[in-house]
Amino acid sequence: MLRYLTRRLGQAVLVVAGVVTLTFTVMRLVPGDPAVAFAGPRATPAELAAARERFGLDDPLWTQLWNYARDLAGGDWGTSLHTRQPVARDLTLAFPASLELVGAALVVAVAAGVPLGVLAARFKAGLPDLSVRFTSMLAVSVPVFWLALVVQTVFAGNLGWFPVAGEYDSSLDRTSPLTVYTDITIVDALITGNWPVFTSTLWHLALPALVVAAYPAGVIAQMTRAALIEESGQDHVRLSRALGFGRTAVLVRFALRPAAGPVLSLIALVFAYAIVNGFLVEAVFNWPGLGRYAAASIRSLDTPAIAGVTLLVALLYVGSNLLVDLVQGVLDPRVRTR
Amino acid sequence: MRWQRCLLAAGTAAALALAAACGGGQVRGAGDRSSAPSGAGGAAPPATGTTFVYAPNLDVVTDWDPASSYSNEIVAMQNIYESLTKYNIRTQKVEPRLATAWESSKDGKTWTFTLREGVRFHTGKPLTAEAAKDAIQRTKDKGAGAAYIWDSIKKIKAKDDLTLEFKLKYPAPLDLLASADFAAYIYDTAAAGSGDLEKWFAEGRDAGTGPYTVDSWQKGKEVELSLTAFDGYWGGWQGAKFTRVEFRVTPELTTAAQLVQRGEVSFVPRLNPQLFAQAAAQGAQTTQAPSFQNLLALFNTESGPLKDERLRKAVQQAIDYDGLVAALKGAGVAASGLVPQGLFGHVAGRTPKQDLAGAEALLKEAGHGPGGKPLTLTMTYAQGDADQQLLATLLSSTLSTLNVKLEAEPLQWTTQWDRGKSADTGKRQDIFVMYWYPDYADAYSWFANVFRSSDTPSFNLTYLKDDTFDEAVDKLNELAAVDKEAALTSYADLQTRLIDELAAVAVPYVMNYQRVLAGGIGGYVDNPAYPNVVFVYDLTPGA
Repeated sequence: MLRYLTRRLGQAVLVVAGVVTLTFTVMRLVPGDPAVAFAGPRATPAELAAARERFGLDDPLWTQLWNYARDLAGGDWGTSLHTRQPVARDLTLAFPASLELVGAALVVAVAAGVPLGVLAARFKAGLPDLSVRFTSMLAVSVPVFWLALVVQTVFAGNLGWFPVAGEYDSSLDRTSPLTVYTDITIVDALITGNWPVFTSTLWHLALPALVVAAYPAGVIAQMTRAALIEESGQDHVRLSRALGFGRTAVLVRFALRPAAGPVLSLIALVFAYAIVNGFLVEAVFNWPGLGRYAAASIRSLDTPAIAGVTLLVALLYVGSNLLVDLVQGVLDPRVRTR
Repeated sequence: MRWQRCLLAAGTAAALALAAACGGGQVRGAGDRSSAPSGAGGAAPPATGTTFVYAPNLDVVTDWDPASSYSNEIVAMQNIYESLTKYNIRTQKVEPRLATAWESSKDGKTWTFTLREGVRFHTGKPLTAEAAKDAIQRTKDKGAGAAYIWDSIKKIKAKDDLTLEFKLKYPAPLDLLASADFAAYIYDTAAAGSGDLEKWFAEGRDAGTGPYTVDSWQKGKEVELSLTAFDGYWGGWQGAKFTRVEFRVTPELTTAAQLVQRGEVSFVPRLNPQLFAQAAAQGAQTTQAPSFQNLLALFNTESGPLKDERLRKAVQQAIDYDGLVAALKGAGVAASGLVPQGLFGHVAGRTPKQDLAGAEALLKEAGHGPGGKPLTLTMTYAQGDADQQLLATLLSSTLSTLNVKLEAEPLQWTTQWDRGKSADTGKRQDIFVMYWYPDYADAYSWFANVFRSSDTPSFNLTYLKDDTFDEAVDKLNELAAVDKEAALTSYADLQTRLIDELAAVAVPYVMNYQRVLAGGIGGYVDNPAYPNVVFVYDLTPGA
């Protein structure tokens, strides 16, 4: 197990090093002078020179790459050109809100996707199966930005059932100030028993979480269905059926547990995807997460910030993949020998 | 397995409780807690009452230091800080703000300002001539952002508690300069005591004299900044006023439109023409006003085909000015000359018109046009700007009928500017499209920054080198300080020279502000000298 762990960790480090090099190269290949982006469109030559010196832009590329990698490892992810704050600090402020949104979305996705997958497998080729397959296909293929706008216009704008935008009612900062421990609002509200903020956040979270959940719910439903159908053909499931258990009972009690492995792996993998997919949803719903930060960074050609977001997302991908591999390695010893 | 699940649940609960107990959490958005409570859950309460909610589409604050601030934070800073004078768009004159009176010597080189009595900084310190002097001196010494507005100053002297005297190196309209949107703020330079003032500001503190002071600043949050009324404001708080200002960052225009429609925000600075029309149709309060920001098509007078003056004039005449303004659906208005309306130096009756026959004749004279040698022109403009793209599309289709191919390339500003400044003249474009706006309510920057010659181009992207023109530009500030009539004549002559004689530039349109306000708010005046700023103190809340 230790050898397997070391090998997988080594591979993960290599991938991260590749991403760092690639991000740096792209940053330098993008046309335009980062010093201009920092010093502003009306900067004097002296201000531009000072900005170049500050960011070491006159050093050779190799030196810049080395310094960049060294600083990253030391926790210095550079200074954002548009917020003028350390990128690592900006990301620390923005990431919890994204985590909150995607976490809620995954809860919704699992709560909807798994039962729908079971339903489809139970009535394979029947009307429920066709409906689930059609709906999940739609959920997977519909552009998330469009879905966000439609959901917001109908349920918040026209019907007024939900708030149009925001994380929670800001006036609560004065009436029920939240004590922050994790910076994930809903978690902090829960652990400190701040119910006004908790309910307000839950209410604000509903629409964006539903939109972000669309894609993972579709994928999870399809995967659950496929895994259950495959598992249904196994001897132990057929035996259970022969012993007189009903179709639904067999699926839920005997087929679902072995099928949970691939579904769990899938959830870990769609997590990082959902973070990026949620960027556009965050923009529509004013969600104060990474999406808004990334959008503002792109608009102002803020290369250190863009690189920071890219690297964070890459780390999330690598981290969730690694986690899946390790968990599978623990659960199924055959994986370790591959 | 059941005991394992119980253990997991207990572990999670314990971890959360431990985090709550030991974490030493911070209270988010701590500040004024005296305002009326609102219901939890459900939609946010309407932005009525005494809170004014501004919905900017970008983060608000990038620089808290009033000396160097030169960005989006102007919308907050102008409510926190005040300058000596303020430009009034209706009278087109400067009016008192922290200074109640001022006068200049005949030669325009000595200016004396009398300060308002009874003004206090948010730090508690009274405003004196010495304090104002220190603020201006610090801004000038730092030399960042728009600090160049104080370049003409040789010496500042606090003659008594309320009298401030400026000695200038050369004549300059200091009353106008003191009304600038950036770098003219008066602040308490002793706010940090013996500490580092720059760091003190960077933590989200202020040291202004304005009606509002910082209540909370939460970078990255939806409501990024909240201001609260400054009890000691010299103007007092009699009558119905907003006592709180919130800046709620709303990147999506559709979201902003819905929020203002539902009364959750009070003001949206910009919507697209479709959403603006929709908001007006649905009964929101809308206003439109021409800005001080115009689009310039700068022609390369130094190299490439447009070195030929006839070709420059042909392109000028080929632009469908009326068609462009119509297609902008209210986002732009027709320009008259180089200086936008409302600024000293503006000339009325100079609205350009398309003249295709004239353009064809000029092209023929130069050997091009239909039946002549094909001509290819390159144009660069801002990527992602739909209005500039519209110009590119319309001009390209018009020029193609005249046997001229327009290669219009959308670029990021830094790339576009780098190419424009390239030392290799072969790499430069034939037409450079960009917006220009002044840092104070004066036309000078158009002439001095964009058209005055320079050895290495900065914003002079027509690459014009005309000594007579330069000499006249250098006298503009002095004329504006001592002889306004002569200055006006000079501005008019220079515009004729640039547009009609040298054909160095075309001005396709002036940007038009389209604002949406929540119903019932009164007293709003759009002042383009302070772009996108709402002077909240001057407003009356809705019923």
